[in-house]
Amino acid sequence: MSQSLFKVTPAITFRSIEKRFPGVVALHGVSFEVNPGSCHALMGENGAGKSTLGKILAGIYRPDAGSIELAGVGQRFRSPLEARLAGVAIVHQELALCPNLTVAENLCLSALPHRGPVVDREELLVQAQRFLGEVGGDCDPQEELGTLSTGQTQLVQIAAALATGARILVMDEPTSSLSLAEAQRLADLIERLRRRGTTILYVSHRLEEIFRSCDTVTVLRDGGHVATMPLAQTDADGLMRMMIGRSLAKYFPAHAACAPGPERLRVEGLSSPGKFRDVSFRICAGEVLGVAGLVGSGRSEVALGIFGLDPAVTGSVFLDQRPVLIRNPAEAMALGLGLVGEDRKRQGLVPEMSCGENVTLASLHCPGGRGFWGRLVHCPVCPRRTECLRIWDFIRLGSERQWVAKFFRRLGVRAASPEVPAVTLSGGNQQKLILARCLARNCRVLILDEPTRGVDVGAKAEIHRLIDELASAGHAILMISSELPEVLNLSTRVLVMRNGRVAGVLERPDATPEAVMQLMAGRSGASRTTPQTAPMSPICN
Amino acid sequence: METDSEALPAVMPAESPVTSPRRRARFQETGLLGIVLALGLMLSVFGGSLQVRDRESGDTHTVNKFLRADNLDKLAKNTSFFAIMAIGATFVIITGGIDLSVGSIYCLAAVCGAMVLNYFGPRGAGAGASAVWVVPMAMVVCLGVGTLCGLLNGVGVVWLRVHPFVITLGTMAIYRGVAFVMTKAQAFTHFPAAFTDGFIRYKVVWGSANLYPVPLAIMIGVTLLAGWFLRRAVTGRHIFAVGGNEQASLFSGLPVSGVKLKVYAFSGLSAGIAAMIMLGYYGSASSDAGKGYELDVIAAAVVGGASLAGGRGTALGALLGALIIQMINNGIVILNIDQNYSQIIIGAVIVLAVLLDRVNSVLREKRLSRAAQLVKESRREEVCEPKP
Repeated sequence: MSQSLFKVTPAITFRSIEKRFPGVVALHGVSFEVNPGSCHALMGENGAGKSTLGKILAGIYRPDAGSIELAGVGQRFRSPLEARLAGVAIVHQELALCPNLTVAENLCLSALPHRGPVVDREELLVQAQRFLGEVGGDCDPQEELGTLSTGQTQLVQIAAALATGARILVMDEPTSSLSLAEAQRLADLIERLRRRGTTILYVSHRLEEIFRSCDTVTVLRDGGHVATMPLAQTDADGLMRMMIGRSLAKYFPAHAACAPGPERLRVEGLSSPGKFRDVSFRICAGEVLGVAGLVGSGRSEVALGIFGLDPAVTGSVFLDQRPVLIRNPAEAMALGLGLVGEDRKRQGLVPEMSCGENVTLASLHCPGGRGFWGRLVHCPVCPRRTECLRIWDFIRLGSERQWVAKFFRRLGVRAASPEVPAVTLSGGNQQKLILARCLARNCRVLILDEPTRGVDVGAKAEIHRLIDELASAGHAILMISSELPEVLNLSTRVLVMRNGRVAGVLERPDATPEAVMQLMAGRSGASRTTPQTAPMSPICN
Repeated sequence: METDSEALPAVMPAESPVTSPRRRARFQETGLLGIVLALGLMLSVFGGSLQVRDRESGDTHTVNKFLRADNLDKLAKNTSFFAIMAIGATFVIITGGIDLSVGSIYCLAAVCGAMVLNYFGPRGAGAGASAVWVVPMAMVVCLGVGTLCGLLNGVGVVWLRVHPFVITLGTMAIYRGVAFVMTKAQAFTHFPAAFTDGFIRYKVVWGSANLYPVPLAIMIGVTLLAGWFLRRAVTGRHIFAVGGNEQASLFSGLPVSGVKLKVYAFSGLSAGIAAMIMLGYYGSASSDAGKGYELDVIAAAVVGGASLAGGRGTALGALLGALIIQMINNGIVILNIDQNYSQIIIGAVIVLAVLLDRVNSVLREKRLSRAAQLVKESRREEVCEPKP
């Protein structure tokens, strides 16, 4: 498959692709071509449809209309297997191979070497070593795949794809959970693959990576095709404008600084064996404490520890300067502490329940904290019954509707109706539902873990504005984020974590990207790190 | 969406009015009701008729085999056991669990109740005790034993953190074994008439037919209460939340363990209620009562639309599911089909019901995506295409 052979015929041609899902039109009328041997970036804000297009190419989804041609030949993939046979493979962290099999078995799964009905173990290892060698991975082929790090798993996936003769690779957000060093190795591998003539469709919204690895770019917005052009003809600001229809300067709103109020949350010497050690900080009303750190530095674990979800945690937590003991989330919420988890689908949303029910889920308690018999007597004469959604053990559906309407207005949730299942909403609106759940519960201290992950740019700006407003209204906010600009722009102070410890706390004027990166990565420098005691394991080669 | 991005107002107005049309699938049981009516129609038409002699006047007249009052009453009675237990099972299934021990709980509760009733019965040591005491005591024993057994299941699921399938598989054997040991494998009969003829077997003579309305009344009562509870009670909402996403429920501070304890206890209670009806109706109990009921009960819940993945199910659905299965059983008798075919037919119906449910959810998804397109198109008309 030399590059010159296909110079005229594009490797992939998309013709008016359309795809609809419940609640969204993911793609409409997307047409463009991908040249053979190129690394073609597919860009767009989250929800623009770029991942959907990648999955259609890989046969995971079937388009509702339109067609795909590979090297000029029309294709209709009905399954990922058919796409695989046509030479298209997808690398995606959610679509990993079989985690319970070994690396070698995964690599040769489609054609296990065998003698009669018995698998030929030696031949298997030899073949696996060869496939791994092609991508420069040197992890043990006899190890179970599930025990590898994300970066290693990704390499194995790429090796498996190449092993089946894939000439087109779809990489869907490949670096979203890689460390800096792992991401760099991936970029090197992409360069090698391109030289071998593999066509790569690189789905991402991270500008730096795309400028590092890709040569051509296609921008999608709102399910539609905006432009396809060589990367040399544009720059970061131009791409950003195409992606969101406005320039970078407006990407983050100006932070409304306000004087911090009384202390709300103080954490002293919080430790959990194997996760984090000796974490201390304080947040005052009106403050946003940003938490930066690499994946695996223990950021989210601290949040779970405070919230009572880690039984092994030691140390002390003070709310409003009173020591508190939080053993489970119910106790945390009763004290006015709310957590918006990092994984919205698993930790936040109840997908089949309606949007409204999702908002009031945490607010059906008795604010007076009375038990069954206490409520039986007290409910009809309760002075706080107007701020309560229940009478005895029953929900007051009318009041619930009013509450939901109030929070929909306050947070600007866009849904066809509060009665539709929450799963039909876009990522940004789902995130607002979960934020509304904490606000409805009257949480004064909010822990937001990756509040804008998987949220499109427009909604991201709205959520940033909400965080700002909440801080101004006297909430104390702990915001954990992988996006450095987000942390730097929204935070009053920035806490940097490294290897489960607090590496430093920077006041807003000192929190420059360079200073934070240096703390995140250690003294050795910002770009390459080889943490010795890191919970994350280093990449293969 | 140029308008959004250019000037983000501090408070975004919700795009659609909040007072929206009610959820379209408010009444989810329409399909099941259709199946019940279709089955009923089929059985009335093909079931043929029967010569019945009136006891008083002595003259004979023909009646429809299926629509006969006697037959409908028997159908209602047979349905009542399963429907009540299926409602309990539905609660468990909504939380994403399963209860295999209902048949054994039913048996144990019945046996315990039977021993009490036998003691106070005409041949027992406590004969002659006032019905005012005996009837409530028998009820309390049946329901109490059921609830206690269910609670033990819940404790196993919550505290031992063993999968409910395994826990209830174990207790299924344990409870039945306890019933065996307690009865020494003998049947208990001779109950006080106040409990049987005076209560559960209360007879209403209607024309030439004897009707027993109490099991039917209890079933309807349980269904209404459970349906109302699922829709209106805080715990009902929590049951759906735990089944829909257990981790999210935990993160929202819901009492996940408490909710699970409650549903297993309720499942046991429902088996206790069914046992009480059975005791009163048949006037006897032995240690092999309710053998294999757990599968019929789960089948009824699943046919009634409960999703084994959790998060979905209704009380009325469970009742209709039980009714459909009993109608098929009844139809096999009426249509003179070989009894041995009944299992095959019921098995096929279960698979068919789940298939229909799948088709229904695919159609729903299609409808939602079409709605999304309409919203998008209407938006596009308002906002002119933004230029790159």
